[in-house]
Parts: sequence; structure tokens; C-alpha cells
Amino acid sequence: MEFKVALGPQHPALHEPISIRMTLDGEIIRDADLKLGYNHRGIEKLAESRTFIQNLYLTERICGICSFSHQTCYTQGVEKLMELVPARRGLYIRTLVCELERVHSHLLWLGVAGQEAGFESFFMYTWRDREVVMDILDWISGNRVHYSMNTFGGVRRDIDELQKKKILDTLGLLQQRTEFYLNLAASEPTFVGRLAGVGKLSKEQAIALCAVGPTLRASGVPMDVRKDDPYAVYDEVPFEVCTADSCDVLGRAVVRVKELIQSYRIIEFLLKNLPEGPFKVKAPRKVKENEVYSRYEAPRGENVHYIRSNGSDKPERLKVRAPTLANYAATIAMLKNGFIADIPLIFAAIDPCICCAERLVQLDDACSGERSVLTFSQLRAMANERYKKIDFRKKETAWPF
Amino acid sequence: MKPEAMLEKIISDRKDSILEAVLSAPRRIQVKVQHEQLNPVLAYLKEAFGLTHLGTISGNDLGDHFEVIYHLSSADSTVNVRLLTPRSDPKIPSVCAVIPGAILYERELQDMFGLKVENTPDPRPLLLADDWPSGEYPLRKDWKFERPAEVIPGGE
Repeated sequence: MEFKVALGPQHPALHEPISIRMTLDGEIIRDADLKLGYNHRGIEKLAESRTFIQNLYLTERICGICSFSHQTCYTQGVEKLMELVPARRGLYIRTLVCELERVHSHLLWLGVAGQEAGFESFFMYTWRDREVVMDILDWISGNRVHYSMNTFGGVRRDIDELQKKKILDTLGLLQQRTEFYLNLAASEPTFVGRLAGVGKLSKEQAIALCAVGPTLRASGVPMDVRKDDPYAVYDEVPFEVCTADSCDVLGRAVVRVKELIQSYRIIEFLLKNLPEGPFKVKAPRKVKENEVYSRYEAPRGENVHYIRSNGSDKPERLKVRAPTLANYAATIAMLKNGFIADIPLIFAAIDPCICCAERLVQLDDACSGERSVLTFSQLRAMANERYKKIDFRKKETAWPF
Repeated sequence: MKPEAMLEKIISDRKDSILEAVLSAPRRIQVKVQHEQLNPVLAYLKEAFGLTHLGTISGNDLGDHFEVIYHLSSADSTVNVRLLTPRSDPKIPSVCAVIPGAILYERELQDMFGLKVENTPDPRPLLLADDWPSGEYPLRKDWKFERPAEVIPGGE
């Protein structure tokens, strides 16, 4: 007997508002149907009414994790439309931030995979290491999430010797930790047992359904935009495309860990070979009529922006295809004939984008109506102060709120 | 195969079925086709050059016409296959038989531009809300967003 079960759009096991309608035969999923659009914000339409420079910061806000991917994809597209050659030092710094973003995104994913697989200490470890990368990004760009580093013709901020030295110093630690994870992902029996064989996607299916990124590479297809269609300075940087042949969630984990190690090598190369000179060149405001198809290898896979200009300072059309959309068709294939309990793991394995970052809290004083902005550390100090005043030893103490 | 060699081969093999083929930028080949030639040309590109990866399908509102672009990629090059369809009767053939991964992009085009994709395996709406009014296509140039007047439930 077959059942139809709806999961989402809001569900504790999913991190994104997406709705799955499943046809079940006992515990086994026979068919799955996705319904999207719960978070559709109309950014493509909005972009048509903004100038090219305003759109730099709009495209950045498409995603909360791979914000730099969207911004870079858009920037290099517009640079081609402007026929502008960016500053070489700027391109090196841009590539550096690309790779730092990949490191933080893959570490985040490893943590999520560990948590979905019931391996919570793995989650704690990787997210602690991710803070190191987030701190580096904060240090060189001033922001943890939306770095706003790109501008047409280069980047907005330079890197000095001290920053260079600090990044190189911390790389060793990250490298050591990642090798430990690679060892763990390949040998820890409970982790391997949970991930192996889950979410099978054959090579033929992955190609036919146009999957991208680690999902595709874990099915044994060595497609990587950084190699196939090099942008920024990837044609000068030595690195390898990482693949796996197991076609399952374990393969996707191994591919990501291997990519982390490659990313550290790229970062080291970029910092040691950082050219001298200006980090940006002046860009025109108006763009003549043309079109461009810009590709970028985001942490989740190929990211695509199609930009069409009409001679004014605003784009005629901006089409964005985020990697997660490209992987949805493959996800349905992965879910079929799997178990209900594997849904969070399979979904997490394509690494769907999650937006979450909160840096400051705005408080409304209930008595005076006064508003104040506090940093997290101030807030924590206030909370500690408050709890020190409460005497927990008394049994009849009233609930403080 | 080098993009230049690819372009020559496309022109010599398919000069009857394509309207135009040029190399517009490094690793970007532009091909124009007619409605009934779309599927055979995509199948040919897939077979001859291994252009199996469909990046996305972009729609453009050109006024009298809609332009639909299929962005195909391989390790060597990207080929943009474009098709024009009149605004009065916007129809494009489905390419899902050749590239199964095109399904979500075709559904997105139907939602956003109101193009009719013929023979698509799944013609349901994808992105827009369930109560979205029919006949409104947000990415057409004549569609303007008007914020509805705010109504406070129960009055002021």
C-alpha cells in the first residue's frame, strides 16, 4: 500500500523552506516531488531597476554563505561587458577570498553532515575550525558574511604584510585538522556506515540531470569550472580536481575534504606569489550593449550569471542560477528508493544554502522606549550580570521573568 | 577540441539547420536555430562534442519577441543556442528528451515569461505562489510591481 506524505515547507529536519511530497511504500520513498518558491525574493526583477554598482551589493545578498560566489560571478561578467582588465593584485586577492570562502563553506558542510549523521562531536570540531577562517575573512574584509570585497576592476581592500603572515600561520593548523578529518571520514566505522551507500547517484544520472559541484564530482565526473573555464587567476594556480567514484554521500564528504586540502595549497600559492601594484583600476559607469555568460565554481558547484546590458548604467537582464537549483533534479533521483530517515542526510549532501548570521542585537527598552545597539560580548556580560543577582539556592525563588 | 575547430565543425556539419554560428568571446560560441531545429541541434552538440551539461535556460524579453538561450557547457567550451519566439504566440519545444536536467529551467521559464513549453513532462508552476493571478508574468518588461495597499486586520 502506498502513502503520500508531505514534508515541509517548514520542518525541523530541513534548514530551508522547501516542500517535498513523497509517495511511500512502507519506509521506502517511491517518488518525490519538490515544490519551490517559498523564499523567492524577485532579485532578478529588482536587479533590472538598479545600477550596475548597486547590483554588486544586491547579488551578494542572494546567499548568506556563498555571498562572494555570486558577487564575483556578477563582477567578472560585468567586467567583460565593460571590456575592463582588472588589476592583477586585485585578481589575486579576489581568488584568495574565493578560496577562503570555499574553506569556510566546506567546513560548515562537514559539520552539518556530522550532525545529520548523528556524529555531534564532529560538528563541534569542524565549526570550531571554521571560526578560524571566519576570523581571517573578518580581518581582511571587515565582515564575516557579506565581505563586499569586489568592485569593477579589482577589489576594495588591499592586504598588508601582517595579514599575509597571519593567514599563512593559521593555514598550518587548518591543514593539520583537515587531514585528521580526511582520515576520520574514511576510517571511522560508524560514520562510514551511516554515509556509505546513502543517496546513490550514478555517473550517467548525474550527467543527464546536469548536477554540479561536489555532487557531480562524487559520481566520478571531473567537472570543475576553475579548470574548464578558468576565471580570475586559476589558470596560473596549480591545483587538482578532486573526484570520488562511490556515488554516495560518503563520496561527497571525501570530495569536500580533499577540496579543502587543495584550497589550502591554493591560498598558500596566492599569498606567496602576490604581485605588487595597484589592487583596482577605474571602471566606467555605463556599459555598452552586449551580453555575457559568466561561470564560477562556488563551493556548492557551478554558479551561473547571464547579464545583458543595454547601453545604460542598469542591466537589461540579470539571470542567476544558483548551484542548489541545478542539483534539485539530481536530489529527486537520489531520494527515490531510499529511506525516509535518509532525507535530511541526502538533502544536506547537496549542501543547500542556509542564511544565518546575526552580529548585533537591537534592544527596545520597555520602560523608556529607548533603543540601543549592543555587541554580542556586551550582551553576554549583561546576561551574566543579571544571573549573578539571582539566588538559585532558595527553593521558593520566583521565575525571574 | 579547441573552440575554433568546434565552430568550424558545427558550421560544416549543420549549415542547413542553423541560422548563424559565431565565436563571440574566448570559449563562447553563439548558435542561432529555428524552432523545429532546436532538439536535433542539441542532440548533435551532445553527441559530437560531449556538450552534456546544460547550465541554465535564460529568457529575454525583446519586445516583439522572446529570446530563449540554452547554455551548454563541456570541458572545452560553452555553446549558447538561441531561439526566437513571437510575443503573440510564445512557444518553445521541450528539450527534456535530449537533456533530462532541463525540467526545472523549463518550468521556471513558463512561470516567469509565460512561454508555452510544448511536450514538457511536467508543466506545473514551480516558483510563483499558489494564489498568483493567472496571466501575470513577472519577468516580462511590461510587468510592473505595485505594492498592494496595506490592510490592517480589524482596522486601526
